[in-house]
Amino acid sequence: MREPGAGRLVAWALRCYPARWRRRHGDEAAELAALLIRDGAWAGSIALSYLAGAAREWLTPPPGRRLSAATGALLVLVCSLGVSGVLLASSPPARAALTPTPARGTGVSQVHGHARCRAGAGSAVPGVVRSMGSLSVLIWEAGHERSC
Amino acid sequence: MRVSSRDGRAGQDVLRRVGEASVLILISLADGPKHGYALIQDIKELADVELGPGTLYGALDRLERLELIESLPADDRRHPYRITAPGAAALRVHLDSLERVSAAGRLRLRLGGI
Repeated sequence: MREPGAGRLVAWALRCYPARWRRRHGDEAAELAALLIRDGAWAGSIALSYLAGAAREWLTPPPGRRLSAATGALLVLVCSLGVSGVLLASSPPARAALTPTPARGTGVSQVHGHARCRAGAGSAVPGVVRSMGSLSVLIWEAGHERSC
Repeated sequence: MRVSSRDGRAGQDVLRRVGEASVLILISLADGPKHGYALIQDIKELADVELGPGTLYGALDRLERLELIESLPADDRRHPYRITAPGAAALRVHLDSLERVSAAGRLRLRLGGI
């Protein structure tokens, strides 16, 4: 390989594949990378291609199997976070946070039971869980910022 | 999932969901066994598509598991791959299907005067 460290870069990317794949294709994949680099291909793009391939290999269920263990575990994690989000969103402080409050000084009295809830600096959470990031926002707002 | 040569005869297009790279690999292997580097070169010439090595080995692995191709004994560190009989049958069915769609598309373009 012509570029310094190119071999190491590709070898590192190949290590990201599952062991079964490495045993089956590891040697020839390294050989192919060497040939492509000799032809002038940039080692970084080859390593990136192998990295993307490794990600697909871990995430795609093999033919005949509906779901790989890794994908299953990921789905269970996402679902459990979603359920926690729903439970938190349905708790009274969270519901109070989702209830629109009139602007101060308008003189309009609140008919809602959580009238003393102070509208925090953050905006109300519009959905249950938009992403992992908004889940943490939801917990923070529901548990600590509201004074219900 | 295994594909028997009967699937091809039954007219079931098993290649519909395997992706473009897999189809190009099968087309490239249709005229004889090739190893990874030769496949990349041939597909570039044949279809003007540059397959990344990660995409190539992902597709080879999938096709091998489906028994549409098989690897031959290693020549140095390179494994040549060969299309199997079920692979050839599946490719024929897929190409027939593409041809029908292509003909229908051309006809509609003509009818539409575009």
